[in-house]
Amino acid sequence: MRNVSIVGIGHTVFGNLSDFDLVDVMAFASGNALDDAGIREDRKIIEQVFVANMGGGIINHQTGIASSLVSRMDMEPAMAELVENGPASGASAVKLGYMAIASGMVDVVMVTGGELMRSVTGWEGTDFVASLLHPEAEYNYGLTLPAYGGMFTRIYMERYGLTERDLGLIAVKDHQNGAKNPFAHVRVPCTIEAIHDSENAHVINNYVAEPLRMYGMCPVSDGAASLILCAEDSPKMKYFTKQTPIRITGIGSATDTHCVHNRKDPLVLDAVRLAAERAYAMAGLKAEDISFAELHDAFVILELAISEEVGFFERGKSAEALRNGVTAIDGAKPINTSGGLKSKGHPVGATGVSQVFELVKQLRGQAEKEGRQVKNAKHGMAVNFGGFGNNVVAVICSRRDA
Amino acid sequence: MIDFSAYGVKTPEVKAVKCPSCGKLHYPAPMICNKCGERRDPSGVIFKHWETVSLSGECTLLAWTRVYALPDGLDMQYLLFGIVEFPNGLRASGRLEVDQPVTGMKVNARAETMDNSKGKEFDGLIFGDL
Repeated sequence: MRNVSIVGIGHTVFGNLSDFDLVDVMAFASGNALDDAGIREDRKIIEQVFVANMGGGIINHQTGIASSLVSRMDMEPAMAELVENGPASGASAVKLGYMAIASGMVDVVMVTGGELMRSVTGWEGTDFVASLLHPEAEYNYGLTLPAYGGMFTRIYMERYGLTERDLGLIAVKDHQNGAKNPFAHVRVPCTIEAIHDSENAHVINNYVAEPLRMYGMCPVSDGAASLILCAEDSPKMKYFTKQTPIRITGIGSATDTHCVHNRKDPLVLDAVRLAAERAYAMAGLKAEDISFAELHDAFVILELAISEEVGFFERGKSAEALRNGVTAIDGAKPINTSGGLKSKGHPVGATGVSQVFELVKQLRGQAEKEGRQVKNAKHGMAVNFGGFGNNVVAVICSRRDA
Repeated sequence: MIDFSAYGVKTPEVKAVKCPSCGKLHYPAPMICNKCGERRDPSGVIFKHWETVSLSGECTLLAWTRVYALPDGLDMQYLLFGIVEFPNGLRASGRLEVDQPVTGMKVNARAETMDNSKGKEFDGLIFGDL
């Protein structure tokens, strides 16, 4: 297959952008990616656009979003499609962009993910995301994604001795990283004293889905991120001399049962493990080769569980690594250097693209000025988790000289 | 006990299905048996009829949570939810009505007609004290 590199990246701030139009927000990130790639007058070289979005049709009452974005960006007649794969829509769009180029069909692709979730109430937003659950056996009851996050956390705590303090430490680490990320939704560090150790901690850190508290959940965010992909053997690479190209070396994805209760072991995330194994096999890499990772911590427990499924740590051992600073930016296996979903935010359609944006930024060495650069970063992995683990996409990006 | 079925009154019921070829039980009903590949035809016209089996009675609580992040339309401060396993091996999610839930405890599953967040009636499972 052809080698594919990421040659431009763009991002909006994540937060409350509800005064803006969904496609305008996506267009802003797309424009940033084109500028980063050094493209201004030559934007018609983009042959294919993939747009990741989960709820535009439901919560923003907008359809035909991909064609709208192309027109807003004056990029006609580029081919354009919408990719909806729940909260993993972003990485799925990256995967399809890769496939379109690797197959030889096109040379240059723009992948943009975006979501506006703050234009509705928190209850409506929670309901919209819950619509991915099984309609008869899950959604009808009022079950939500936080409900499954809570149940998963309780089983994990009971089986491996994880404590609520450990959950707090994940939030502390992610907020430390997010505070240094100019695009993060919550750029405020938090302390373990404030969210756990103090006798009044429960006042600011109340339960949302027991035993998960507010600091165990990602915020509901608006925002967009965008990538420009190009075939390395294409003559069009001549347009992209502004930045160091970062190669997509591995992509894997997998599905699991729609109903969480139908899994043999509710703590085993088969789709995460298989997606990672497929990405490792394609890249010719192993878990120990990965320098850093962006893992989908919509609920902080997922940072631990995913890090175990992808092989970074043994089952039940990731909390020990967290306590010992292994997953901090200056640790041996930095995780969620962007702040993760916990601090950076989670505009569902944008998240997977934003994770890959962070991989590229770190691999280029451009997180240095923000004080959160991973030293000697060669290979980064992103895991974008759809549903409650029923559709997962893993992406590995690498420096071309690695 | 009054047999309401004799009066044409619908009794709340949550149904699992049984594969007519290999006998494997499924909940919720799939369109294909994941053990033998038998196809299910909800209209019963093309393929063999799948028997239904009521889900109720004693079961084991595998996981639970008290959730404050509820969907729009459920105007409650919180709800308790759980995942249970029945003696026949089937598992299900549902609402939990137990004062002091403990993982691994025995609970009683019963079907009740309730409203979802959109006000639509459905027959669902409630896990209560034995």
